[in-house]
Amino acid sequence: MKDLSIDFCGVKFMNPFMLSSSPVSNCAEMIARAFDAGWGGVAYKTLATQMTKIIHPSPRLNKYNNQACRMVGLQNVEQVSDRPLEHNLKDIKWLKKNYPKHIVVASIMGFSNKEWEILAKASEDAGADMLELNFSCPHMAIEGSGSKVGQAFDLVELFTETVKKAVSIPVMAKMTPNITDMNEPAMYAKNGGADAISAINTVAAITEIGLDDLIPKPNVFGKGAVSGYSGPCVKPIALRFMAEMAQNPELGLPISGIGGIETWIDVLEFLLLGASTIQVTTGIIHYGYRIVEDMMEGLSDYMEDKGFNSVSEIVGKALPNVHHTDEFDLSRQGVAEYDLDRCIGCGQCYIICQDAGGQALSWDAENRRPVMDEDRCLSCMACSFICPVEDMIHYKEMPKGWVRHDPEPMEI
Amino acid sequence: MGEGLTLTLATEEAARCLLCFDAPCSQACPAGTDPGSFIRKLHFRNVTGAIRTIKKNNPFGWTCGVVCPTARLCELACSRTAIDKPIQIGKIQRFLVEHGWAVGFSPIKKAEIKKDKVAIIGSGPAGLTCARELALNGYDVTVFEKKEKAGGNLRYGIPTFRLSEKGLDREIEEITSLGVTVKTETPIEGKDGLTKLKEEGFKAVFLSPGLWSPVRLGIEGSDLNGVLSATDFLGAMRTHEASDVENLVRDKVVAVIGGGSVAMDAAMGAKKLGAKDVYVLYRRSYTEMPAEEKEKIQALNDGIHFFILTQPVKYSGKGSLESIVCRRTRLGDPDDSGRRRPEEIQGSEFEMPFDVAIEALATEPDTGLRELADLTWDNKTITVSDANLQTSLPWVYAGGDIVRGPALVVEAVADGKKAAEAIAQHLEGKGE
Ligand SMILES: Cc1cc2nc3c(=O)[nH]c(=O)nc-3n(C[C@H](O)[C@H](O)[C@H](O)COP(=O)(O)OP(=O)(O)OC[C@H]3O[C@@H](n4cnc5c(N)ncnc54)[C@H](O)[C@@H]3O)c2cc1C
Ligand SMILES: Cc1cc2nc3c(=O)[nH]c(=O)nc-3n(C[C@H](O)[C@H](O)[C@H](O)COP(=O)(O)O)c2cc1C
Ligand code: SF4
Ligand code: SF4
Ligand code: SF4
Repeated sequence: MKDLSIDFCGVKFMNPFMLSSSPVSNCAEMIARAFDAGWGGVAYKTLATQMTKIIHPSPRLNKYNNQACRMVGLQNVEQVSDRPLEHNLKDIKWLKKNYPKHIVVASIMGFSNKEWEILAKASEDAGADMLELNFSCPHMAIEGSGSKVGQAFDLVELFTETVKKAVSIPVMAKMTPNITDMNEPAMYAKNGGADAISAINTVAAITEIGLDDLIPKPNVFGKGAVSGYSGPCVKPIALRFMAEMAQNPELGLPISGIGGIETWIDVLEFLLLGASTIQVTTGIIHYGYRIVEDMMEGLSDYMEDKGFNSVSEIVGKALPNVHHTDEFDLSRQGVAEYDLDRCIGCGQCYIICQDAGGQALSWDAENRRPVMDEDRCLSCMACSFICPVEDMIHYKEMPKGWVRHDPEPMEI
Repeated sequence: MGEGLTLTLATEEAARCLLCFDAPCSQACPAGTDPGSFIRKLHFRNVTGAIRTIKKNNPFGWTCGVVCPTARLCELACSRTAIDKPIQIGKIQRFLVEHGWAVGFSPIKKAEIKKDKVAIIGSGPAGLTCARELALNGYDVTVFEKKEKAGGNLRYGIPTFRLSEKGLDREIEEITSLGVTVKTETPIEGKDGLTKLKEEGFKAVFLSPGLWSPVRLGIEGSDLNGVLSATDFLGAMRTHEASDVENLVRDKVVAVIGGGSVAMDAAMGAKKLGAKDVYVLYRRSYTEMPAEEKEKIQALNDGIHFFILTQPVKYSGKGSLESIVCRRTRLGDPDDSGRRRPEEIQGSEFEMPFDVAIEALATEPDTGLRELADLTWDNKTITVSDANLQTSLPWVYAGGDIVRGPALVVEAVADGKKAAEAIAQHLEGKGE
């Protein structure tokens, strides 16, 4: 196994894998088992003071399935930790005593400037290695908290500054994706003194509506709500924010990547786009802590294969390849190329090329095979995505000067 | 009959479907049940639409889902086979119909009966399908059935452990509730029986009496107690004689003679009724046995012994069967069926003690059918036009086993549909 350790704002992580702040990091007993399974760190379930009583709605989760593919997304209406603050602080102390090499990040959320200060100090005193400021929960039942803060950029700066003054451990600000440009609040956090950014928290969404009672789910005794959505379906959105922040030279802060991570490939994609640690919740809600074993092994084997000696060498490696679309070379064109030897004759390519592509395919009904007219192919490659035979339809560049035939207009 | 799929399992199976263009499975279904469409509908959560497709295309959609030899029909054609294994089309079909029953969704609505009277002879899948299609088209249909209950081979052939009575009753009830009259214990017999129907005002007739006369081995001792045909054995299991056949085989050693599907049903049936040991005696080898592969394996797993290359030559016993004298065979050159001909080996006789012998050889048309009307026959089947199943009499149509020889339920359904359309065209003066 390769050395997977990485430095993140001066804190040494044994590997980049963290539990993100959520039910998977709710108490020391759970986190200890996660550490035993291989996780290198934890963003502890968000702490709040006890000035406001926290009660979670019931039920608190709902799944988003696509066909037989279960839980491609997850919606939740969970609030910050409902455990007494001193229990959580005790648990953090216990963890640092028993797992001194593992990194405990205390996630906190204040409902006033003063509360941010109190929580930050208390966490540092309990032995937390870092803080994560939760500016990003999209469904807090308390006014002026969660992503409402993350969307009011001056508050992001104010609270970060308050916390930075109160503690000496590194501070990371957790961003909401429910905005247009994440660089804006991230810059406010930086100006407030943040040492790192974590993103993304959940995406505001509605996953499902009961067709008999017409109530969105989770159905909390007759009421549904727009609330936080997570899991594999949000990963592409999270990756976009990674790239945009990591490519911003003014920001220049380390990033902890979050959103839909389940496999080592997901991890790698976050690293390649500039994250240097990653965090997971929904993957664990779906499969349990054990998934970290495959992340470690997969990442290590990839590094071995590609000759990387440390995780930090990977960080941001794909960023030079992320461009604006206006930089593309449009003089180079191509088509889909079929290797029909292995075709099983399902005809799905034909259907979608007719209805969504360039009508480049016709259908040989007798032999059940598509017949290609290259000059009509858009190179959309949609056919290659649905063809059930793996790796059979490829992209082929056409010679310079080749022109695609557009459909003729109808005679009027 | 085992448990069927659940909605989750059926949906997962449907998710494996490639949603083929011009679906090969649909092309392969003789009755046009159109699995390509109903699986796609299930895939897109259009569960009611999927049930509607099945029931519209095939009144015996449930029965077919249960008893069709899918491995050589739709599932043989399935594109997915080239990747791993075919979609379990029969199981999805059965599930969808049962789901409709469970949630009370019935897609087929009764039509007003206001057209001509049509008579149907025989209430097997061919006759009842034709009846439903004509009733939905407004015809006044009467089905004449010789036996106590409707269903033909679905009731008196295929045993309940393969096709539950409850499901069958439900599927038949769906047909009769559309205004179809079924007259049971009303055989149409005797000279010019069909002309009499015409005189009663029936404008057209669909003949679907199946094959109910068992072919017998005809060897010495056939009249001993304990020697009977599979037709009688399986039929009796479904009547007031059920306890008689149970007493006949319980704790006994039973021989079933033949290697087809009916032999497998009789063998497994005897075993289920408590026979001590059941032997299938078959004159060719395992591969020539016409039963479906699945059925043969099932029988073997049920503990039934296969005596292949074995030809019974004599039953012996005093009053009741005590033993069967058999001769070993070996395979010679192929015969008309393309299978290698069994040749008896002289001097290879051996005698095995048996209490019961069930002959499952073949079935033929009842001889009485020939006098019903002056129809053209081709040896043991009624000759019809391929295009519209019309017999040599323009107002008489025929289909199912009586036309095809021993065939399948789904083919009987196909014939019922085709005949209904042709009869309607005939009566509405279209077509010929
Ligand atoms: C034991 C057994 C198992 C089988 N298993 C399968 C299977 O698993 N899958 C499959 O697809 N197929 C199977 N088959 C074949 C299938 O059952 C037949 O192909 C199908 O039932 C033929 O339908 P039909 O409507 O032509 O005739 P039948 O089902 O034979 O129905 C004919 C009806 O006509 C009635 N009748 C006959 N003469 C008269 C008369 N003169 N007046 C009034 N009524 C009359 C009969 O009583 C009967 O009810 C099996 C057959 C048998 C015997
Ligand atoms: C049930 C649930 C509760 C969560 N609670 C918190 C929380 O208390 N604090 C926080 O910062 N994020 C919280 N999150 C957000 C996650 O930490 C994470 O940012 C988000 O779910 C995206 O990552 P994922 O796709 O791996 O789940 C919660 C998520 C879920 C599903
Ligand atoms: S790439 Fe697009 S246009 Fe070309 S054959 Fe495939 S579906 Fe048709
Ligand atoms: S989708 Fe693939 S397998 Fe199916 S017909 Fe097209 S090329 Fe062949
Ligand atoms: S042939 Fe198989 S894969 Fe294709 S539509 Fe039919 S069931 Fe689906």
